[in-house]
Amino acid sequence: MIQGYGIDTSSTAAFALSVLPILLVGLRTTILAMLAGFAIALVVGLAFALLRRSPLAVISWPAAAAIEFLRNTPLLMQLFFLYFVLPEYGIVLPAFWTGCAALGLQYAAYMSEVYRAGIEAIPKGQWEAATALNLTRARTYGVVIIPQMVPRITPAIGNYLVSMMKDTPILSTITVVEMLNLASRIGDRTFEYLVPLSMVGLIFFVLTSLCSLALRGIERIIPTKGISLQ
Amino acid sequence: MKIRIVSTLILSAAAFACGSLQAGALTLEQVRAQGYVRAATANEVPYGYMDSDGKAKGLAPEVAQAVLARMGLTDVQWSVTPFGSLIPGLKANRFDIVAAEQDILPARCEQVLFSEPNSSYGDTFLVPAGNPKNLHAYEDIKKDRSLKLAVVNGTSHLAAAEGVGIPEEQLVIIANNADAPATVSSGRADAYAASEGTVGSLVKDNLAAAAPFSDPVVNGKALRGFGGFSFQKDSGDFVAEFNKVLVEFKKTDDYKTILRTYGVSEASIEAASAKTTADLCAGK
Amino acid sequence: MSMLTYLPVLAEAATTSIMVSCLSLVVACALSFAAGIPLYSGPAWLRGIALVYVEIFRGTSLLVQLFWLYYALPLIGFSMPPLLTGVLALGLNSGAYGAEVVRGALRAVPGQQHEAARALNFSGAHTLWRIILPQAVPEMMPSFSSLAVQNLKDTSLVSMITIADLTFKAQELRNLTQDSVTVYATALLLYLAMALIFIGVLRFMERRIKVATGRSA
Repeated sequence: MIQGYGIDTSSTAAFALSVLPILLVGLRTTILAMLAGFAIALVVGLAFALLRRSPLAVISWPAAAAIEFLRNTPLLMQLFFLYFVLPEYGIVLPAFWTGCAALGLQYAAYMSEVYRAGIEAIPKGQWEAATALNLTRARTYGVVIIPQMVPRITPAIGNYLVSMMKDTPILSTITVVEMLNLASRIGDRTFEYLVPLSMVGLIFFVLTSLCSLALRGIERIIPTKGISLQ
Repeated sequence: MKIRIVSTLILSAAAFACGSLQAGALTLEQVRAQGYVRAATANEVPYGYMDSDGKAKGLAPEVAQAVLARMGLTDVQWSVTPFGSLIPGLKANRFDIVAAEQDILPARCEQVLFSEPNSSYGDTFLVPAGNPKNLHAYEDIKKDRSLKLAVVNGTSHLAAAEGVGIPEEQLVIIANNADAPATVSSGRADAYAASEGTVGSLVKDNLAAAAPFSDPVVNGKALRGFGGFSFQKDSGDFVAEFNKVLVEFKKTDDYKTILRTYGVSEASIEAASAKTTADLCAGK
Repeated sequence: MSMLTYLPVLAEAATTSIMVSCLSLVVACALSFAAGIPLYSGPAWLRGIALVYVEIFRGTSLLVQLFWLYYALPLIGFSMPPLLTGVLALGLNSGAYGAEVVRGALRAVPGQQHEAARALNFSGAHTLWRIILPQAVPEMMPSFSSLAVQNLKDTSLVSMITIADLTFKAQELRNLTQDSVTVYATALLLYLAMALIFIGVLRFMERRIKVATGRSA
């Protein structure tokens, strides 16, 4: 019994059917981790991007270094670091949140590049107009820059969302009970890996296809010239 | 010209790949023909582990090497894998023998062949020093829903925990024995279930073994572990020869030295000869 | 414990990571062109196979692919040593992404080149190999560079199938010493160093290719 569901190994079909509900329990965790990690990445990524643009070198250089470090080192290594090192300093996050934090941080580094490209793509005239209108920095970003940036960066951000979903199985290495973790457990219990692992692959395939379709739909809905300021 | 270089590389890669795809050793004859033995162990002091120099140490690997040497097989190539991958590795023909004192269980007997039992052991818990939650048996975990027990994936301890009826939410399933101390000291689990020898080697300033400890009772039977060496299903004659030499080796002083080095009591070896593999596989 | 004590062991494991990466990149390169070219212009059946390959390996998780090749494939008869499994999985995965890069770059070559080739009576294959491809390759290099660095980072996953790479050794070392901070910090810095070296080498290659195909301004 795993996750409350028995496993029937009488035939391949019965096995697959009995394993499916177990994997779907893992799917829930996969999706939650993806959403939480993505939310963290969006926010922290914006922070990274803004810090990097700071005119003060003492802020922008460490930010740039952090971004380069996160982008160029493996997610798995970062994950182990957070999972094993933080407790030594008294911070014991549950495995799930450690995983989301790791996903969030690594993708925040990617996001910061996307934000940066998006910000730099906005014509200089917009900045000058904002200054002419005496808008504060906060309002400039909030009302002028970001609404124009969103449609341009949506495709890239969407791709990273799909990419993050495909990275969630890494969390299985720190005991997070998501799909791959459950598939491995089923395999270790029954010594039959072919069916569970193939099913996990299939579920991911379906998920990424759905996500890509959804993204294409969203891209069509968001106006290309920017969200109206009204 | 460039295309020719590339094609040559691709063809040699393919040839190399095909060469690696051929079946490994199964029967004793094939093992002898192969010239070396592929052995595997998990990282579990003192039953079987790899030390920092890359040498296989521990009760099972050293006994295995001694027995194999007496069989004329001196070239043993060791791999270390997570415990849960040992049997899958045998089935996938990645190893010829597993030396990790794996518990001889009926479910495992269906997948692999076991030698006669080498040692017998009970379980215990690794807990924070002082045993704050007062845990002395698997059943104690069930008393409080907030308690968490860590076990290594694929082990008999996981099976025991489930057999006793501990709900899944209370289990923290880790991949490696070596992750256990960090898991318990960080509070992610309140205890770690493993064989007494393993827990004994993990005891440190802030971690202790839960004593006394009572064996888990599953289906009315108190469970004790019987560790053996495992082989691929088709290696019948290899196992038969191995068993013969093992029985002889156990009478020697070299064997006793290995036991003493790893703190394995003579009593546990005596207990091992109380059951045969055939009985254990049948669930007796 | 200082980083210096761990450095020799970890540095040696790092060379394993680099080897896995380089071998899998060779496989990936071959596959990128083998799949990318038919995707761009090839007989329907070949394009179909390439499409299926690219969609499967881009649409599923790398770790799942790795586990599948390592645990599931032996059950239908193909048992490969872990190293080969890792190289194959990484190569297949990177190759699928690379195929898209190849296809995109081939499509980016201006139409006039095709017309000029036709006017000069070049055959289809000749056009592709002599005219289109050399102009497309410089286009591919930036994306190939990021794929290569991603591949290097992905090598850390092969530690999960018992290959003794940097991540595996870091785990082992941590298990022996329980000194998570220093061991992991050293490993992370080694990965960073390797990534920066990769980037440097790739940038050098980019420049050489630009010169070789006459694209340097």
